[in-house]
Amino acid sequence: MSNTDLSNIEVNQKPVAKRSNPFANVFNELVSFCRSRSMFMLHYCTGCGAIELPPAMTSRFDMERLGIQPMVTPRQADILLITGYVSIKTLKRVILTYEQMGAPKYVIGICSCTVNGGMYWQSYATAKKLDEYIPVDLYIAGCMPRPEAVIEGLQQLMAKIKTDEANSWKKYYEHYDYYLGNQQHLFGNNWQTPTDIIGEAKTYQLEGPNTLGEHTKILESVQRPLEPLEMKL
Amino acid sequence: MNQLDTLLLISLITALISGLGRRHQLIGWATAILLTVQFLALLSISSLGYGGTVIESAVNLTILGQPLSWRFDGLSWFFALITIGAAMASSFFAAGIWAKKYKKHGGNPGLLQFAMSLNVFTMLVLLASGDLLSLFIGWELVSWASLLLMVLAGGIATQWGLRYIVYATAGAMSILAGIGIIYHLTGSFAYADLAAAASTFSTTHVVVLSLLFIAGFGVKMGLLPFHLWQAGAYAETPGPGSAFLGAISSRMGLYAMLIVVFQLIGLGKMIAVEIPFTFLSLRDLLMWVAAFTIIFPTYTALRQNDARYLLAWHGIGQGGYMMMGLLLLDPVGSAGGLLHVFNYATNQAALFLAITAVVYRTHTADLNRLGGLVNRMPLTFLVLLVGIIGLAGIPPMNGFVSKWLIYRSLIIEGMPLLFVATVIGTLGTILSVYKLIHNTFLGQLRLEHEHIREVPWSMLAPMLVVATIIFITGFMPGLVLDWVASAQAALGFTPLAYTLGGVETARGSLDMIWLCGVLFGGFGVGALLFYGGGNKAKRVHQLDNYAGGHFLTADTRYHYSNNFYAGLMHHIGGWYRGTFKWLESSLISIVSLLSGLTQILFHSYHPALFLLITATLSLYFFIG
Amino acid sequence: MQVTLLTIMEVILMPIVAFIIGLFMVLMMRKLAARLQRRVGPPLFQPLFDIVKLYGKQTQISHGMIHDIGIIMAVGGYVAAEALLPVPGMDGIAAKGGLITLAYLTMVPSLGLALGVGQCANPNGSIGISRALTSMLAYDIPFIIVIFGVAYQFSSTNLVDIIATQQAGGFSTWGISEMPVLAVAGLFAMHASLGKQPFEIYIAPAEIATGPMVEMGGKFLGGLFVMQSFQLYTASVLYVSLFLGGGENWITFLLKSFGVLAIPVVIAYLFPRYRTDDLVRLVWKWPVMLALIGIAFVMN
Repeated sequence: MSNTDLSNIEVNQKPVAKRSNPFANVFNELVSFCRSRSMFMLHYCTGCGAIELPPAMTSRFDMERLGIQPMVTPRQADILLITGYVSIKTLKRVILTYEQMGAPKYVIGICSCTVNGGMYWQSYATAKKLDEYIPVDLYIAGCMPRPEAVIEGLQQLMAKIKTDEANSWKKYYEHYDYYLGNQQHLFGNNWQTPTDIIGEAKTYQLEGPNTLGEHTKILESVQRPLEPLEMKL
Repeated sequence: MNQLDTLLLISLITALISGLGRRHQLIGWATAILLTVQFLALLSISSLGYGGTVIESAVNLTILGQPLSWRFDGLSWFFALITIGAAMASSFFAAGIWAKKYKKHGGNPGLLQFAMSLNVFTMLVLLASGDLLSLFIGWELVSWASLLLMVLAGGIATQWGLRYIVYATAGAMSILAGIGIIYHLTGSFAYADLAAAASTFSTTHVVVLSLLFIAGFGVKMGLLPFHLWQAGAYAETPGPGSAFLGAISSRMGLYAMLIVVFQLIGLGKMIAVEIPFTFLSLRDLLMWVAAFTIIFPTYTALRQNDARYLLAWHGIGQGGYMMMGLLLLDPVGSAGGLLHVFNYATNQAALFLAITAVVYRTHTADLNRLGGLVNRMPLTFLVLLVGIIGLAGIPPMNGFVSKWLIYRSLIIEGMPLLFVATVIGTLGTILSVYKLIHNTFLGQLRLEHEHIREVPWSMLAPMLVVATIIFITGFMPGLVLDWVASAQAALGFTPLAYTLGGVETARGSLDMIWLCGVLFGGFGVGALLFYGGGNKAKRVHQLDNYAGGHFLTADTRYHYSNNFYAGLMHHIGGWYRGTFKWLESSLISIVSLLSGLTQILFHSYHPALFLLITATLSLYFFIG
Repeated sequence: MQVTLLTIMEVILMPIVAFIIGLFMVLMMRKLAARLQRRVGPPLFQPLFDIVKLYGKQTQISHGMIHDIGIIMAVGGYVAAEALLPVPGMDGIAAKGGLITLAYLTMVPSLGLALGVGQCANPNGSIGISRALTSMLAYDIPFIIVIFGVAYQFSSTNLVDIIATQQAGGFSTWGISEMPVLAVAGLFAMHASLGKQPFEIYIAPAEIATGPMVEMGGKFLGGLFVMQSFQLYTASVLYVSLFLGGGENWITFLLKSFGVLAIPVVIAYLFPRYRTDDLVRLVWKWPVMLALIGIAFVMN
């Protein structure tokens, strides 16, 4: 793999300019607080870890008291839970799903398989390290982790969101070239999703110096156009 | 020669000019402008719409010793306004670029304009009729003129046109029989004589006459069970012609029915007529006919997969509302019925023109072959949206006001089942118009429609004008209620006490100005919340869509359009039995069997004997 | 002029009140569901957290202008409808619209939402709307019979009159004691109109991915959350106005409207959902039958 390993690199945080208006700061803090207290999760039940989620949601552990609710589509969700090994075919769907979520979005890798492939280490068809393809905020290791561990992990994520530290979603925009490169390495150079990450990064000023690069050039050369249908008179 | 004669003369001249010059390139514009002149001539007698007195035509003919006269009152003026308005919108629409394409595909736009202006002239003649004889003449003229418009497209349209003319002839026979009986009873064709003599009619006479006239005029209106001809005949007419026919043509049946049955014979008497072995009076029976005219065609429309047929079926259904409102006989209900004539005409014109615009660009009205056009034809979408909100009777468009009046009256009069029937019709309308707009304008844009554009301004302008009228008369229904009140007065109803914003009564009023104000205020708040709160939304491609992780591609069609209300049809699908079609076809079979039998007998056995029998029977029928 | 100004003040104030009460209704619904499932349930401000978070999303996607306008109409339609729904001390423009107008005005948000969903070009959404309209066709028929019965009973379509008549005569003139059968049918229809189990076939998360909401994220979903709180408020307050004598004061008003809403919510979480055609069959059978019997009592 030509790229450097980014999994430990922090986002080059543009220091959030403290606005002079104190109300604006209060407002930002309020939004962060609400983000941490209202997390809609999309559980992409790829492996055995999914079995630990129902007890975490239902009466024994009741996630809803923390404001965590299951949701159905990526558009509605804030957290993407990957609950087990990710085969290469699945990974394509995981990436599409992740890209369709609205930022800020968080990824939690549950079970050992998402960390290093776990017992599928020798499998030719399994993606070993999830965070080479999409940025992961939090891993909950274990085979499988108990619901207590899942909730513990979610609470850690809540604490990070509350203090605006859970920013790995920005990494995807800022280092898109790196992630795309890894994806192309796995799926071939024709790889593309119908989502427009570069356009999104431009619209919301989330670009970094590494958003574009050699891999995005390859993407541009093969990509079917994705311009939205403009209203024409 | 007074203003009415001028109007009729201009109308005749319009028909003549567009008929003679139908091959000329500019005939479309000429007809449209002449129709505008007619409209101005109509406005010059607008006092009729504000409670003015009747205008008699100076032309008087005497045929076979019977005087023929023509006149205009508030009711005629109201209907004439709609007629000429609808014709203007359609004519302007058809005059410009639409005509070029129509010509390129083998049509004759001049002939279409001629047929429309001829229709307007005949309709004005009918509306101006001053006695039963001139009414019948006008009626026949209208029937044949609309046949001309219907068969213009040729092919399948001709079949529908022939079907129509069979129905229309049968209806005309029924009317003729009614007029004959009246002449027999009163010895005159004059309205005044009939009105005077009507009070002395026996119950049998009232029943027979009203049934004859209602059946005869009901054919044109598409009243159940005489509705089978209408949808196809209107839908297969070239676009602007459909808009004109759909908007006003079948209302001529309502007009004639209003004059003869409501005004002259008097509906009051029908309440007194009890139908044996039921709890129903004759009026109740008619109201149920109206209710079924609302429900059955509306739910037939729900099943259509062709936008034009869908709209045409709704046209039949909406006629039921007008009938229902007028049969209520009170100021509120009858105002609702009459107002609905106007509102429905505007809605239907807008809808048919919008669909014609879609057909102009995409060459299809098949609801399973369209989709996503809103990005390409946004203004047409707007017109269609305004039209469907009006047709479905949802605030703030004008259709809501007329339906509100009808509902209100049904509540006051205490008719729960009829009320429910009208609401069922409205709900069916909402379902099917959503299907219409969803399958054409929303959803996935098909690959072959990627490059189409909005229709040109010569087509857009009339559509937008009609849509504006729909909105304004919904915002200030008092504008139209003025004319409705004079029409009510001309019919002998107590006029409705109205305000500019609607109706104000002690126990339940409607003020559309406030309502629209609040509604648009609400939309303003919604917009403020939407655009003010949160980041600006980025527009995405239609393929960037949730499909359970599946990658969508442009060559896969994923627009959900076929069998749109599958769940509902699972339940009610079995109720569509085609009973009326079955009735029609069995009637046809019986008639053809009889005629075949007679022919065989006549030819192969004793021609002379059968001639004798026929002659004797005819003589007996006519003399005896 | 004075009156107009006062009316405008009320028209502005009523939706705000409705929204706040509606948020608590959402909370009550979720709390009740949690308690029935022996859970703790969400904290007090959870509905507000959800809405603020959704509006605060960094990236938002839209499928086009009609998608935006759909959300605006969905929220705006209810904001307008609240001005027609009298609350203690405020009548708004209830006298200028009345019962039928209110019933039809509440269709505007649904139509707006339907348009917005349509433009998303997602078949799940379209299927959801087709099911939603079908179930509207189902529950509106008993609902409209109930409305007829009430309007006939009080010989008025003016909600202010209807409430005043009930309050003047005390409990014995309340809709529920004058027409108990209609009240039951009305409750049934109201339950179906809320789109909660067992009548939530058009949401069906596991089957059509929440139907109309499938492409709604960020402030689009936030708008729908706002709409939901309005919807719960409108349904329960309308029922209270028709059958429970409206609110004499704010305390009884809130007690009644939360109490009424609790009934369908408690029932909802005990049942799985009906299929579309079963829903239509059920609603056209029982509540319609009850409503017709109720009408027969009222008309005599």
